[in-house]
Amino acid sequence: MTAAARERARVRRPVLLVSAAAWTLAVSAGHGVAMTIHQPVSAPVSIGLLLAHNHPTSLAAGWALMLTAMMLPLLIAPLRHVHDRSFPQRRPKAMALFVGGYAAAWMAAGALLLPAALAIRSAGDDSALSVVLTAAVALAWQCSPYKQRCLNRGHAHPSLAAAAPAADRDVLCFGWAHGMWCIGSCWALMLVPLLMPRAHLTAMAAVSLWLAAERMERPRLPGWGWRAPAKTGRLLKAYLSSDRFRT
Amino acid sequence: MSNTNKRYLRRNVWELGSDWGDDILWYARGVKAMKARVLAAPTGWRFYAAIHGIYPPLWTLYGYLTPTDQPPDQGEIDRYWDQCQHGSWHFLPWHRGYLLAFEANIRAAVVAAGGPQTWALPYWNYFKPNQSALPPAFASPDWPDGQGDNPLFVPQRYGPAGDGNVFVDLSQVNLDAMTEPDFTGVGSGGSPGFGGVDTGFEHGGPVHGLLESQPHDWVHGLVGGGDPNNPLLGGLMSDPDTAGLDPIFWLHHANIDRLWEVWRRNPTSHVDPTESQWIDGPASIGERAFSMPMPDGSAWDYTPGQMSDFGTLEYDYDDLAPLAEPAEPTALRLSRLAPEAARSKAFAGVPPMPSEKNVELVGANPQAFRIVGGEARTSVALDPNMRRKVSASLAAAAETQAPDRVFLNLENVRGVADSTALRVYVSARQGANADVGEQFAGHVALFGVRKASLADGPQAGQGLTFVLEITKIIDALHLSDALDVDALDVRIVPILPVPEEAQVTIGRISIFRQGR
Repeated sequence: MTAAARERARVRRPVLLVSAAAWTLAVSAGHGVAMTIHQPVSAPVSIGLLLAHNHPTSLAAGWALMLTAMMLPLLIAPLRHVHDRSFPQRRPKAMALFVGGYAAAWMAAGALLLPAALAIRSAGDDSALSVVLTAAVALAWQCSPYKQRCLNRGHAHPSLAAAAPAADRDVLCFGWAHGMWCIGSCWALMLVPLLMPRAHLTAMAAVSLWLAAERMERPRLPGWGWRAPAKTGRLLKAYLSSDRFRT
Repeated sequence: MSNTNKRYLRRNVWELGSDWGDDILWYARGVKAMKARVLAAPTGWRFYAAIHGIYPPLWTLYGYLTPTDQPPDQGEIDRYWDQCQHGSWHFLPWHRGYLLAFEANIRAAVVAAGGPQTWALPYWNYFKPNQSALPPAFASPDWPDGQGDNPLFVPQRYGPAGDGNVFVDLSQVNLDAMTEPDFTGVGSGGSPGFGGVDTGFEHGGPVHGLLESQPHDWVHGLVGGGDPNNPLLGGLMSDPDTAGLDPIFWLHHANIDRLWEVWRRNPTSHVDPTESQWIDGPASIGERAFSMPMPDGSAWDYTPGQMSDFGTLEYDYDDLAPLAEPAEPTALRLSRLAPEAARSKAFAGVPPMPSEKNVELVGANPQAFRIVGGEARTSVALDPNMRRKVSASLAAAAETQAPDRVFLNLENVRGVADSTALRVYVSARQGANADVGEQFAGHVALFGVRKASLADGPQAGQGLTFVLEITKIIDALHLSDALDVDALDVRIVPILPVPEEAQVTIGRISIFRQGR
């Protein structure tokens, strides 16, 4: 293993560990937090009734758990940047502030996305239709230059002040900005699991894998068009054709 | 030269017997043949240049792309173009394969014209005495018979001063990289290694390896230079997206390729990476393969592992003798840091410089700043704890035999003028021992900065990061009791004044220690 690979692993391992813990909690907790919108009856209902069955605190906790499970692995590269460019004694705080800024952006986004999901569900428990419509919106966004621009910006690692308080401010702002670009990239896809009460964990897993595959792609010129995560495809192809898999 | 009976021998362009020795004359004929092919022809001159990188606006500006040009199929573009590996441990093996494929294409044209079947690409060893000037065959618009369409000549070669006098200023290049013990390093502030940082397919990574930085990047900038009528425009060699259009590019890279083999042999402890990710290349991890179009119409995919085994390759160089001063023996550094211990203790046999990879930030300047005009200054505030850690490491050198190495980083350097070149100086702040004045830290050439600054480019606009080793400066400050300071001053002096429109900014200047 190279020195650079060891450095990468130093940040990657704990991040993946926390994410795995969040996935474990999501799978096992189920009723404790609302990672999807629960609808009491299949007919159209008022937002008020939905809120009664989906308490904001529970929704927020579920949202936070979803983010931890799904998004944390996407932060390995920027966290490495924060880690590498900070004084050793400041690294834990700097990384915590970065995650804090990132989480603040996503929790603020949740204040918009969760009501949007409630509104969609209040029209009725015709989940297939709502999921298809949401997926269509996600697909349109996926093919847009705006999504690609957000993906590109998510690869940028700015210079960071070394000494507090400027260092604290910089990593917090970096986390917030990174979160905003991430929201711009992922918001539509994140709606999908929210609208799938019966298969939300499966949807979460599928969206997570897609987002991770997207993040592995290099920046490219924004434009309209379908952009498949080719690297993951090639990686799978290489793996499936390898001797290890055949034997 | 090795003792193997290899088929092709790359010779020094300055030692071919005349300015237009056979190897260079046939090279010119081959270049002319490749230049005659259309853009979409995979064995054409422009196609091969686009494999390194293409930026259509610049190509159009220089007349290498016209509205009537038909581009190749998208599949061929995706397979071949924009492939060069920079800021990566694949820099050397990718360029070796690129040279081999290009050489095969030129040779095919040479043989088709009745030339020798053993033709090989010459190299330009600008470090050799009296060989730093551009080889004459490239400097004249005429063939040796006086006819004026010499394909080796390009007008967009401006030289170090931007006046068309093209040479490699030996005061600005060095072979320090040849003393680096490790092929690969880190991108976190310490040594990036002789050959570059462990990456996947990296078409323009932010941190260049030591040989790539010096002399590779610098020679690109010195030869290409900047257009005196428009300082934002560099020569062809100054930008990775136009460099392959200049016929001297290939002789420069043959020399870089030669230096790789020289490094490997001197001493034999210098070895290429053994990790499978390097040996098998980016294709093994789902990324683009290294792929070249060959003269028979086939595509040749290759891996760094295949390029590493020089003995199995069919070419050789006429000179693989050591070029650099031997690495400063660790014993010498230890003796300097601990003269008392050196009298009673044999440091000889201590391996060259520590390879520890614990890299930690020691200090940084407060904010980003622009480079405009003649020079810029900033101050790198040192963290007291980290500074003491470095001092303690140097003080304990006799015992540990592994004192810290120290590196100055110019982070997130952005701009639009790749021909920009900077000198960097370091000095201790007021109150320090006056015996240690300002010290020269190194050169920085912004080769690739335009592309790295594009928000939608491969680096998402984060720019380049340059790493200069300042271990000797820190040693000197330590030995003069001048390291106990709050900050070090850094002065940056452009080789030529930087216009405001070049938009050159440095995000942060930092100092890192690398050690235990």
